[in-house]
Parts: sequence; C-alpha cells; structure tokens
Amino acid sequence: MVTASAQAHADEQQAENHLLLRMSGISKSFGAIRALKQVDFDLRAGEVHVLAGENGAGKSTLIKILGGVHQPEEGQIHLRGRLLRFHSPREAAAEGVAIIHQELSLVPAMSVADNIFLGHERSAGGWLRYAEQQRGALEALGRLGLDVDVRQTVGTFPIATQQLIEITKALALDADVIVMDEPTSALREPEVERLFDVIGELKQRGCGIIYITHKLEEVYRIADRITVLRDGDHIVTARMTELPADALVRSMVGHDLPESARTVAEAPLSSQTARLAIRDFSVQAARRGLRPLVDRVSFEVRAGEILGLAGLAGSGNSDLLSALFGAQRGRVSGHVRIEGQPYRPTSPRAAIRRGIALVTNDRQRTGLILGMNIAANMTLASVARVSPAGWLNFAHEMQLAERVAGDLDLRAASLTQPVATLSGGNQQKVVLGKWLNAQPRVLLLDEPTRGVDVGAKQEIYQLMNRWSRAGHAIVLITSELPELLMMSDRIIVMHRGKVVAGFDRAEATQERVLHAAMGGAVASSE
Amino acid sequence: MRTLLGTTIPIGMALTLCLTASCERKAQTQVFTIGMSQCNLGEPWRVQMNADVKTAADKRPNIKMVFKDAQNDTLKQRAHVEEFVSAGVDLIIISPKEAAPLTEPVAKAVQAGIPVIVLDRRVLGAKYTCFIGADNKLIGREAGKWIVKKLGGKGKVVELKGLMTSTPGQDRHTGFRAGIEGSEIEVIFEADMKWLEPDARKEMESALARYDQIDLVYAHNDPGAHGAYLAAKAAGREKDIMFVGIDALPHEGVMYAKQGILDATLQYPTGGAEAIDVALKILNGEEVPKEITLGSRIFTTENVEAGGESIGSGP
Amino acid sequence: MSGELKSIPSLSPAHEAWWREALRNPIFTAAVAFGLVLVLGLIFSGDGAFYKWGTHRDALRQASVYGILACGMTVVIITAGIDLSVGSVLALVAVSFSILSIHWGWSPWLAIPACLAVGTACGAVTGGIIARFAIQPFIVTLSMMVFARGMAKYVSGGMKVSTAVQGADGTYSYVDVPGIFRLIDSRLLGENLSVVSLIFLACVVVSWIGLSRLRWGRYVYAIGGNEAAARLSGVPVGVMKVAAYGLAGLFAAVAGICQAAQEQQGDPETGMAYELSAIAIVVIGGTNLMGGRGGIGLTLLGTLIIGYIEKILSINAVAEANRLMLTGAIIVAAVLIQRRRV
Repeated sequence: MVTASAQAHADEQQAENHLLLRMSGISKSFGAIRALKQVDFDLRAGEVHVLAGENGAGKSTLIKILGGVHQPEEGQIHLRGRLLRFHSPREAAAEGVAIIHQELSLVPAMSVADNIFLGHERSAGGWLRYAEQQRGALEALGRLGLDVDVRQTVGTFPIATQQLIEITKALALDADVIVMDEPTSALREPEVERLFDVIGELKQRGCGIIYITHKLEEVYRIADRITVLRDGDHIVTARMTELPADALVRSMVGHDLPESARTVAEAPLSSQTARLAIRDFSVQAARRGLRPLVDRVSFEVRAGEILGLAGLAGSGNSDLLSALFGAQRGRVSGHVRIEGQPYRPTSPRAAIRRGIALVTNDRQRTGLILGMNIAANMTLASVARVSPAGWLNFAHEMQLAERVAGDLDLRAASLTQPVATLSGGNQQKVVLGKWLNAQPRVLLLDEPTRGVDVGAKQEIYQLMNRWSRAGHAIVLITSELPELLMMSDRIIVMHRGKVVAGFDRAEATQERVLHAAMGGAVASSE
Repeated sequence: MRTLLGTTIPIGMALTLCLTASCERKAQTQVFTIGMSQCNLGEPWRVQMNADVKTAADKRPNIKMVFKDAQNDTLKQRAHVEEFVSAGVDLIIISPKEAAPLTEPVAKAVQAGIPVIVLDRRVLGAKYTCFIGADNKLIGREAGKWIVKKLGGKGKVVELKGLMTSTPGQDRHTGFRAGIEGSEIEVIFEADMKWLEPDARKEMESALARYDQIDLVYAHNDPGAHGAYLAAKAAGREKDIMFVGIDALPHEGVMYAKQGILDATLQYPTGGAEAIDVALKILNGEEVPKEITLGSRIFTTENVEAGGESIGSGP
Repeated sequence: MSGELKSIPSLSPAHEAWWREALRNPIFTAAVAFGLVLVLGLIFSGDGAFYKWGTHRDALRQASVYGILACGMTVVIITAGIDLSVGSVLALVAVSFSILSIHWGWSPWLAIPACLAVGTACGAVTGGIIARFAIQPFIVTLSMMVFARGMAKYVSGGMKVSTAVQGADGTYSYVDVPGIFRLIDSRLLGENLSVVSLIFLACVVVSWIGLSRLRWGRYVYAIGGNEAAARLSGVPVGVMKVAAYGLAGLFAAVAGICQAAQEQQGDPETGMAYELSAIAIVVIGGTNLMGGRGGIGLTLLGTLIIGYIEKILSINAVAEANRLMLTGAIIVAAVLIQRRRV
C-alpha cells in the first residue's frame, strides 16, 4: 500500500506541518474515578489522528476537555502555540475547535443555510441577511464538493448528507481542529466513501482531524497517526504504519482477569432442543434511510447455556435483545423459536408470557420505578401472581420479595423503602429479582453489572451461574471483555448489525473478540 | 345538526325565491323574505326569541323566514348581514352579539335599501330602522314595587344577583334598589350567583344558615329563584319565604309560578312577535318609531292562569 | 443463603424531630391545611352560621359533585395524564338522565346504568385514542370536552330538559319530578347528611380500594411512575389507560346524575369549567400532576379544603371580586404548606 519512499516523503511533510494542538499532562477525575491520568495528545495540520480505546478508556473525557465542557485538574492545552483554557463550548468554537458528535447538532426544522450560520448569523443591526447567508452556505458547501438546495429544511435530507452539512458548519466557523466522534456509525458504504473524500479535502486545506472510531477498517484507511488510551492512561501514540492491527488491539486490551468468583459453568445439556433459536432475524431502524440495526442474525441458545453477545456501540446487539423482547420500534423479521415453538415478538407482555425476561442496560430509565418501594418493584413483572382475582395480597408479595431478596443477598433496611434510596448494585439486584419472580425460561441480560460495585458484581456472577445450572438459557451482553470471557460458554460477535465471528469458550481471547468487534478479519480457529 | 339543516334548506329555497321575486314592493299579496341573524342559540332565551319570531311569522302567509345562527361569532354575524344583502332579502332582523362590529354592516344594509330591525342588543349610532328591546331597569323597578306592595312596605329580603359584570345584571340590580327605595325593605344578604342555579342554591344555603328570618328572595333570573327555593325546601322553610324571579319563559318561570314555587316572575320579553308586527308595518310602507321599548308582564300565582298582567309602558 | 435481611444504619440522623418527619407525609400536611381552613371558619363565622351543623352539612353537599369528579381525575392524574372533558360529560349525562327519567319515564334501574354507560363510553373513547395514537391527553380530552358539550346540546335540543314537557302542538304539560331525583336530593340520618354527600363518600371509598388494594391500582401507579419501565415489565399500559379514562368518565356520569337530581332538570350548559375545579382539588390535596404518587385520601381533603373555603366566603357574603382574590391566595397558601421539603 504505502511505499517506503512515499512514507519518507510523508514524514518530512508532517515534520514541516505545524503543530495545531498540544494537550500535555491532562488529568481529570470524577469523584473517585480517575478518568484521565497525565495524558498527552497532539495534532498536526493536515493529519488525521485516530483516538482509539475501549468504553471508559477516557476518549470522550479528553474530547470534552478540548471542547470546553470539562476543565482538567492538571495539564495544559496549547492551541496554535498559545496556552489556552476553554471554559465553555462557545469559547472553544471561537478558537476554531469544532466537535461533530454522533448526535448531530443541526436543527431539523431550519434550512441548510440557517443551520450553517447558526450562532454566527450574518446580520446587520439585528436584521438577518438571508441572501448573504445563502450565498455563503452555497460557497462553503461547494468547497467540499457538495451541491444541495440550501433553502430546504435540514430534516428532509438523509443522515449522511446531514453529517456533511454539519462538517460544513464546522468549516464555516473557520475551524481547523475538527473532532469526529464515530461519524460512520449510521452510514452505508458509498456514504462512508464520500465522507472520506471530504476528509481528504479538509486535510488539503490544512485542518487537523481527530477521529474516534471502533472500526479497524477505517483506522487503517485514513489514519496518519493513532493514539491509544486505556483506563485513563496514555498507552501509545504512533504512526499508522508502525502499529499493525494486532498490536493496536493488544494495547487497547490488557486488563487482568479477576481470579475470584470464577466458576466453570456446567456443560449445557446438548440433547435438548434449543431454548431459544433465531434464524435470519433482522430489525430495521425506526428512521427510514438508515441501515438495518440487526441484519439477518442467527444463533441458538440451549438450556443451561450462557451465550455472550459481544459488540461495540452501534453493533446492534442491544437492539437484538430488545427486539426479541418485543420492545423495538422498527420492523422485525425472521424466525424465532422458544423451546421449539414459534414465537413472534409483538410486545413485552407477550414476551413475558412466553417466559422471556429482559434486563435493560439503563435500570433507572427503563428498569425500575423509582417512586415505588422495593417489594413493589420486585413484583412488577408478575403482579398477577400476587393479586388473585385482582386483589393485591400484600403478605404474599412481601413473602416473594423477601425470598428473592435473600437469594440475591439484597442489602436494605426494609423492603418497604423506596428503591431510589438504594445503591447501584442493590438497585440492579431489585431488577434481577423482578425478573426472577416472573419465572422466565430465557434471560436476556444487557449490561447486568453496569454501574455496580465490585462486591455486588461477584454476587451477580454467582447468581448467573446458579441460574444456568438451574437450566435457564441466558444471553449476555457486557462491554467488559473479561466479564464476557469469564461468564460465556460461547461468544458470538456482532459488527454493524451482522454476526462476524463465533468463539467457543476455549478459543476466545480478549484480543480475538475485540478484533472481531472492530471489524477485523478473523483468522480461522485452530 | 338540526339548526344546520334548518338553515341550509331554507337558504336554498330563499335564494331561489329571491332570484325570481321582484325587489320592489308591490301589493300585499307579495311574499316577503325576512332574514334573521341570531347571535347564538345556546341560551334558551334566544331559542325562545327565534321560536317567538317563527310563531308570529307562521301566522302570516306572506312572510318567508330565513334563520341564521352566528354561534356567538361576530365575524360570522357580519357575514350573515352581507349575505342577506347580496341575496336581496326584503328585511333583516338582527340580535347582535356586540354593538361595535355590527354597526357598519347594518348601516350598509340600510343604505342598500333593506330595512333592519335590531332586537334586544343595540348597535352604535342611528343607522338602523328600528330598535326593539326590553328595559331591565324597568323590570327591576317593577319587581321592587311589587315586592314592596306584597310585603306591606317592610321585610327582610335576600337578593341573588346575576353576573354583575353584565348589563342585565347591573340593571336588574339598580332597578330593584330604585323600586324599594323609601320603603322599609331591608336587603340582609346579597350574592352574585352568575345566573346559575347550583350557585344560587349554595348562596341561599348560606343565607339560611345565617338568618333565621327571611321574608322574600329576589333573584335576577328564574333558575336562580328555583335554586333558592330548593335550598329553602331542603331546610323546611320554603313555606315561610316568598320567591321572585325574572325571565318568565313559558316552560320555566311561568311553570314555576303555576306550581307555586315562585310567587312572582317578571317577563323579560324576547320581542319576537313584536318584531314581526313592526316588520310588516315597515314593509307596507308605514312609519315606525325608532325605538320601541317592550313592556313586561308579571305572572303571580294568582294571575298566572289568566296569562299574567302587563306592567310598564309598551307600544 | 436464607432469607435473612441485613440491615444498614438508617441514612437519616437517628433522632429526627417528629414534626419534621410528619411534614413529609402528604396526608398530614393536607390535614393541617384543612385544619387551618376550619380555624378561619371559626374566626369568620358569618354571624355564628359556622357553628351550626347545617352549614357543614351544606358545605359537604355543595362540594360533593366536584369531589366525585375529582375522584376520577385523581386516577387519571396518577397515570401522568389529565382529563379536561369531565365537565362536559357531566352535562351530557345530566341531560340524558333527565330525558330518560322525566320525558321517557324510564325506571331508575334502567336509566342509571344507561347513563353510567354513556359516561364510561366517552371516557373509554378518550383513553383509547390516547393509548393507541400516543397523542397528548390534554389535546384529546380537550376535544372530547367540546364534542360532549355539543352532544349534550344536540340531545337536549339546546334547551334545559325539565319537568315541562312540550307536546306536539307546542303546549307544555307538567310532570312530577321523578322519585329518584327526589331521593338523590334528599337527606339521611335525620336531616344530617345529604344523599349526594353519601354518594361522594362512596366514590371515595371505591376509588381508595381500587388504587390501594387492587391490581389495576398498582398498574396505575406504575404507569405514572415510569411508563417505559412499566411497559417493559409487562404492565398492560394501553388497556390501563383506557380503564383510567373510562373510570373518569364513569365518575363524571355519577356526578351528572347527582347534578340533574339537584337541579331537577338536565341543563346542557351545566358543569362548565367543573373540570378545572376538579383538577384544583386534586392538586391542592397534594397529588402531583407529574404522576406516580398521591391518592384518594388527599383528594378527599382537597375537596373539603375547597368546599369549606367557598362556604366561609359565602356565609360572610364576601363580594365576588374579593372572593376570587381570597380563594386564589388561600389556595397558594395551602399548596405552600404542602411543599415537600425532603
């Protein structure tokens, strides 16, 4: 691909290109959590610098500091040679730093021209000069090779075009430090190509681009340099050519595997028909024009088995589980069988009737009713059980709640206290208790240990083991790779809605899983 | 629904008639088309007004009525007047929602040669043919005088007032006070019951709780008087108290008088029948007064079967 | 592990002033607010009228129709919704009940269930539209408010439906007030309690049982507390919304029957703005408009607070303008007393 002489030429070029941005020794903590520890990062004009790392590595914190949302406790930022401190996003924008988030900041109901000049309208004495704005917008778009009707409202354009409009907006601000956060997560192939062309244009103009992505194929297409963060530490910064994919992945991973509480799951009973079997399962996005969230996925889970469903943000694994539970808005197609019987996911109520339980990844928003007490939350999915003929039997409810609370080792002063007063770990136990009481056959767990302290995590792992021994089929999503490897009997990896890899327990390693999740080619298993 | 059907079919017929009939006044055997615009048909009293007009018109074979309901919308009512003018009706009767917005359309109609009778509520200025209306001050005064006579010049009276931000309420109040002036009638309790029966009942309950002796209740409308009666009945004191109301609609106030619930009710005339009389005079080329103040009738338990007694001046 | 619960030390300091803790209980604060209103009445007793039992009996009577509406409104508000149509449904049922009982001579055993069905149907339609099409309750119930009012006027021909029956030839004949009307508008216990007050209290009891003892009550609180979590836990959100608004319609029908009996007629214009009073009662009682908490006990106290404020102003013959200002001020004071200072 890149010849030696071309690389040397590029090196010289880079050395000449001046330094746009230098962040040195940046540290930031949130309470007890140290998000960034003495991190260095720099950006040159005309380069694409990829910022890589797992969830929680510190990438977004670093970008938020650059964008003026947070203030660092230690460290300095030099922008074009000047020592600066941004106290607000407006200040950062004024200094030529533009951040393009995954959620675009365009106003759908306003026209393209108005959006491009939002915040710095062309006006004379308070009167907007529409004609001038339209001309300016056309010009800015033209520089990127775009041709759209600037009077049309932004919302009518497809996402890909909106993204390009957002980039134009950044340019109209005369930004030369441009941060792109997962820009291709919603795009199709041809649109990704267009974006890369535009990035090339930007490089030509001397802009520096910080590009955050999980996808290996993109890293190796456009990166000039790569920086890896892990757990708040700066691990490595190197030119793309000096950091091949496996080395990249290895530097991203690297936790110690926790020793305690690791139990070997019993071998699933292979003679039975699968508890849960899906074939060609697809889920369309709720908005039109986007690629499918889940694209013809097939797998089986047997009784007593824990299937790990790995994938990074945007891979579609969470959407898959919520679609199986009947909670997705987009159209669902494919075949699903529960214990051999066909099943159509129409609503959560129907799913619960068939014995499916879904532990969502956001317990405060979708898992608990904070105003109610623990016992009521624990019986929320099985109210019919504690209300014969419609009359609530409080004694029975308390009995069920106490039994489950004991099983889960829930720590609370009383079961009649509101759940809002519990710690994260205990709240998660309440959610698990709710589903236990619903007597499910298939458990779909989406990040069951998120926001849970170490001790409670161990207890939840033990719980999962007990469940699988009892014969439940479990599908597990977790962004913590060690946890995934420890608990799963089998792992399948999703990337952009499709299944890209499958591993047995024996052959799975963190690197292999992450590599596949980032879209890298999978070597055939031994 | 009914009113919609009730207006579209006659309009269709009326328009065809207007196109074929001549616009000049000829012999009395000619059929006259009269357009009537009512500000709303939500108030039973206005329903009664239209009914009175219709009854009077039905008796005259040479009158064709076209009724329009403005549903309390002044813009709609302006449109009514303009529609009547372009359809070329022979006369317009209008009970306006508000004076100012309807003044000019009415003036234009008169200019176009169509006489306009204004009923119950006024327009501004003098550009109309005839105004027919009742006088609430007079009615209130007559009520006061009758009460003074009935109580022999002294007694304790409760006044239950209609919405005091409206002219009828104010007039029925000031008229009443003028009527009892000089006597020893004492108004021991007064409250604004906003023309509503349940509210009148509540206020009467308070009055009953507070005063052991009440001789008479004067309410600005019959529903109010009825509500007061029910409160007194529940307290077992209805026989000791007399009740006087205003409006005297045949199936409401007059009925209450017949049943002995009200000792007296004063009619607030709609002027519907008079409007048709005056309309025919105008159409026959006669002179009519600019202002006609309707008289009222008082219905008491004694004279109600005989059809009441007229009071105050009339045409 | 056996079912032994581990306790942790309470998060709040061990010795908390008893009154501070009591103030966090909404029933307590509502009762305090009501107590203060009673004190006001004792002071401004209207020449001693406040000391007579009749005044209290009447205060309860006049507040009953509003209170019945407020019971249904409480259920709807707990689901984080609102129902602006109850005043109009009340009118529709008042008119219907009068036509059935007075003009058509139906027995109350037929007329009452028929009218309750009419009210419930209006509510169920509203709830169905809200649930199926996910439109804001404010808009849907506003539309029903207009529609039901129109239906009331249509069904009644725009006139009050009273004991004066118009014959085919236009003359009026007069019938007696039906026995059921007299029964509802009478008193029990030796003239000490109005029947409508009893009906109101019965509605309170029924609502209380439903909300705190029945399965659907649990569902109602869940939907108001967190609709997404409730749906994802298998709560039948759609059905429950239809039921909640249907219940509000049912109570509006009960109120309409009581109103017709007390007016001895069916007035299509009755009940105007009653829904606002019902909402005020619920809010003053202490139930949160955001949903998920509150209850009927609070609504009962709210009804008493509003009813007594009106009564005190009435026996003191306060002028109308002053009444409005004072009512507003007292309501603000009552709400401030109940602010949760947790």
